[in-house]
Amino acid sequence: MASHGFWSLGGQNAGNPNAGSQSPSTPRAWCQAAAQKFPGGLGSKLCALLNVGEEAVDKPVDTSTKQEEETPAETCGCNKPCNCSKATTGFSELYSTDLLPALDGDMKTMTFLQEVVDILLSYIVESFDRSTKVIDFHYPNELLQRNNWELSDEPESLDDILVSCRATLKYAIKTAHPRYFNQLSTGLDMVGLAADWLTSTANTNMFTYEVAPVFVLLEYVTLKKMREIIGWSDGRGDGIFSPGGAISNMYAMLLARFKMFPEVKEKGMSSIPKLAAFTSEHSHFSIKKGAAALGIGTESVICIKVDERGKMIPSDLEKKILEAKQKGLVPFFVSATAGTTVYGAFDPLIAISDICKKYDVWMHVDGAWGGSLLMSRKHRWKLNGVERANSMTWNPHKMMAVPLQCSALLVREEGLMQNCNQMHAVYLFQQDKHYDLGYDTGDKALQCGRHVDIFKLWLMWRAKGTIGFEAQIDKCLELSEYLYNKIKDREGYEMVFDGKPQHTNVCFWYLPPSLRYVEDKVEKQKRLHKVAPVIKARMMEYGTTMVSYQPQGDKVNFFRMVISNPAATFEDIDFLIEEIERLGQDL
Amino acid sequence: MAASAPSSSAGDPDPNSTNLRPPSTTYDAWCGVAHGCTRKLGMKICGFLQKNNSLEEKSRIVSALKEQSSKNELENSERDARFRRTEVDFSNLFARDLLPAKNGEEPTMQFLLEVVEILTNYVRKTFDRSTKVLDFHHPHQLLEGMEGFNLELSDQPESLEQILVDCRDTLKYGVRTGHPRFFNQLSTGLDIIGLAGEWLTSTANTNMFTYEIAPVFVLMEQLTLKKMREMIGWPNGEGDGIFSPGGAISNMYSVMVARYKYFPEIKTKGMSAGPRLVLFTSEHSHYSITKAGAALGFGKENVILLRTDESIIQTHERPHKSEKVGIHTWVSQGNPHDLEAKIIDAKQKGYHPLFVNATGGTTVYGAFDPINEIADICEKYNLWLHVDGAWGGGLLMSRKHRHKLNGVERANSVTWNPHKMMGVPLQCSAILVREKGILAGCNSMCAGYLFQPDKQYDVTYDTGDKAIQCGRHVDIFKFWLMWKAKGTIGFEQHIDKCLELSEYLYNKIKNREGYEMVFQGEPQHTNVCFWYIPPGMRGMPEGDERRERLHKVAPKIKAMMMECGSTMVGYQPQGDKVNFFRMVISNHAATRSDIDFLIDEIERLGVDL
Repeated sequence: MASHGFWSLGGQNAGNPNAGSQSPSTPRAWCQAAAQKFPGGLGSKLCALLNVGEEAVDKPVDTSTKQEEETPAETCGCNKPCNCSKATTGFSELYSTDLLPALDGDMKTMTFLQEVVDILLSYIVESFDRSTKVIDFHYPNELLQRNNWELSDEPESLDDILVSCRATLKYAIKTAHPRYFNQLSTGLDMVGLAADWLTSTANTNMFTYEVAPVFVLLEYVTLKKMREIIGWSDGRGDGIFSPGGAISNMYAMLLARFKMFPEVKEKGMSSIPKLAAFTSEHSHFSIKKGAAALGIGTESVICIKVDERGKMIPSDLEKKILEAKQKGLVPFFVSATAGTTVYGAFDPLIAISDICKKYDVWMHVDGAWGGSLLMSRKHRWKLNGVERANSMTWNPHKMMAVPLQCSALLVREEGLMQNCNQMHAVYLFQQDKHYDLGYDTGDKALQCGRHVDIFKLWLMWRAKGTIGFEAQIDKCLELSEYLYNKIKDREGYEMVFDGKPQHTNVCFWYLPPSLRYVEDKVEKQKRLHKVAPVIKARMMEYGTTMVSYQPQGDKVNFFRMVISNPAATFEDIDFLIEEIERLGQDL
Repeated sequence: MAASAPSSSAGDPDPNSTNLRPPSTTYDAWCGVAHGCTRKLGMKICGFLQKNNSLEEKSRIVSALKEQSSKNELENSERDARFRRTEVDFSNLFARDLLPAKNGEEPTMQFLLEVVEILTNYVRKTFDRSTKVLDFHHPHQLLEGMEGFNLELSDQPESLEQILVDCRDTLKYGVRTGHPRFFNQLSTGLDIIGLAGEWLTSTANTNMFTYEIAPVFVLMEQLTLKKMREMIGWPNGEGDGIFSPGGAISNMYSVMVARYKYFPEIKTKGMSAGPRLVLFTSEHSHYSITKAGAALGFGKENVILLRTDESIIQTHERPHKSEKVGIHTWVSQGNPHDLEAKIIDAKQKGYHPLFVNATGGTTVYGAFDPINEIADICEKYNLWLHVDGAWGGGLLMSRKHRHKLNGVERANSVTWNPHKMMGVPLQCSAILVREKGILAGCNSMCAGYLFQPDKQYDVTYDTGDKAIQCGRHVDIFKFWLMWKAKGTIGFEQHIDKCLELSEYLYNKIKNREGYEMVFQGEPQHTNVCFWYIPPGMRGMPEGDERRERLHKVAPKIKAMMMECGSTMVGYQPQGDKVNFFRMVISNHAATRSDIDFLIDEIERLGVDL
């Protein structure tokens, strides 16, 4: 294929209607000149690198042009006209059209992928190195200037592509960094990563056994195992991997509605009475989001009070159910949270399940964050009663550190999902296939195409065993206990709630010295509210660590520390505390 | 091994694991080179490349520079191969020996390189036509364990050796969707740049909800969505949009947004706060519209299916064959448009027509609904117009074929899946909305723990709250990188080529003995739908017996294809039509010879049926 001819032709008639292609004109021109002057493509290599910062640096470009002209002969670093070109370039003259399936694209593809892997491996090594920054923070406008992110009509060389890959990683957050504590999903598991690379390479879809035989079976095997761990007899039931905990929760709500009013699938919400769902005021916002989407309405989600530790108060649940009934609403769904997002609290599942049973309401357990504690013999008691739930959300991509995304919805009743969601599309789910159709699981999903999220979890489970996950989880909880013990009586710290946290969430205020003796309560709260955001902003500027903060109810901004990163150690916890004090002492 | 040839020729690896660290990025390495040649210039360039790094980092780079310049000669022969595969015995290594374990770097690198070796071999073989598309086994066979491929999970860990075996087996028993002869789905092919993008995405392992944790990806998403809106033709690329986990969810978004636009109170009060809402879509459209109707609380019966011209012509038995015969349109000559009739009918019943879905490229026929005519009706009755271009949206990239979507700029929302016709790895689906801000209005819940309003940066980049998901996978990078690498014209070329191939197929079989086209006329997309009539059936008179036999032909041929693993193509019935083959081409590896092969193969396998 005459790729160059095609590309240059395209260039002539494309006519640049977009703004993006105007900006790089100066450096581009210079690059072209340089590339011609210099032996062995060094010029273009240089350009590629300049490209990373081209818009931020118009002036130096001019000067360096002059410099270059003066000393053209020495540029390659070998003191003689040499063959470095082979070593340093190759990619500047290649385009994606030279890669497979191009004829003789084999070697080029392998070399290119190897180069990419090199970049990725460097990044991995760096990520685990405590001396590197967690983040090289730039404001959005700044970041836009840092690289040519614009898309254009013309192709870029593979060299440019590699530069883009490097730039992307340079400004990315190192989520694997031992001091990254910002989200519930942190860390980078090597087996999980390898599995995700394989998944991308296999590039298939979960809808039928036909196109994903192994993955469909792995999903089947793994879901069964998860149900066994929940405690459903023989691991029976149903389930699916979905794109995140919010969607898993939405599935649960959908199923609960269908279970109580199957006619809703055909006739819609107008055919059934007004529903009421119940969840604690500390639960995840996805319950409301789900209710809004499903046409139930956010007002139909009734928030149950929590105790000072963030756990749902069962008596209030019963009270609210009765109130709803009196108003003529039909209670259909209770979502108990196992591991709330902010406090890490576990709702009392047994008490809640008693109430659900009494009033015949679907009980869902949102264990997106805390569900993984089922893998730990030491901590699984926190979820006692989960086996009485009708459905459960469990995100292995959080506490089990499986790469994103990996979220499961598990359902006790078999076949319900299928009935609720199936549409019998004959183009995918032909009934006259030659294999057992029980494995064409696509029709029970809300999605049509579904990403393969199972392989990374399955492979990690193989590589660690259940005990490996257990050890990892126990360690994270131990670290958070260490943190709790360290700060609970330390000067300048106040805990948001009393008592040892149940999960790895440790919520606290840091009071800078100047605030510690402020008498006026209102004034103090007002100032305290601003402390965490400033410290966080400074952390990001320095790039040393990242931890989250938020207000909750009437409580002003506080830090929420969570640990799910298997790379974190006691020293990293010490570091975090020192860093908060270093950055916050002058506030 | 060819894959590692350039580096493995470079002599022994450095056993010193500290060598794994600097130079950790290529610009460091390059700075070293520059430093070696022209001190002043080199420093200058490095200087401004580094302009924004901290002091600490600078000193690190300076030391890397020094180290580099001293090792300069070595560099030349060593290339940048910092990580080289060596023989490692993985049978005594376990996951716990990998990073973040102490001294875990070396085993980690070796393990990952071994995996990459497996993957690159797989990639290479995938493009090799002598490889099978799949090595088929029945579910029970795989579950029982094939030649030691054991799927069970246990309490105890397996060695890394076993993990590598698991990887090989998983690929062995999988389907090679990148194979030039895999035609089974709308998403086929394996783009190398896209693959590299996916590997990077997995490595970056982050989430799309806030700028805070995915700065680059959030910006890329904005730029790319804008570009896509420009392609649609919305002025200045203004509007809104989001990448979602697949076309079905994108379509669901469109219905939600439409509902929010006309009845915002439904978000809080539920469907009972509004009138009885109805949705319209054609009977050939994708089932996800009906699925969305069921899930979102409209109910399936309030999703009204419109007849296609084909069925109208059949039911009215019009002998007249217009240009539009077989093409998916709602125009029935002389009568009011079926859509308009049904809208009026719904209104008379007291229902409220809300939303019309026009399909840009149906799943089976590849037909394009006449968007302009539908838009006229939508404007007249004030309905939301959605264009489901999951499959056909890619044609917007082609100057030659984009006319098939004429009128798309009048839509209120568009679904467009780059993972189909544009060959982007799975998943990559976008929902684009003309009105700015409405996605956020529809879905936001303002969670304090994620979307703190008092962050130091412009929080309008925290796009997470407009999604129905909380965490959202990074689907943008592979697409962005491919667009960079191919340019718009690269996608155009890919699409034009696929359409050319399907035209070739159509011309090849339309008059060939033993073939019958399911609809007349040249296909609009790459879908070519046809029956293969085995020789033994060719003399049979029309009738139930023939229909019954014909119905079984495609499944049998397909089963045999899978058993021998030579190729894969989809089949299905449609309406009252018995099973037929639906050939689609989206794989950039396919050539005319692969089309010829497919036909030969169908005839070979079907000859005695």
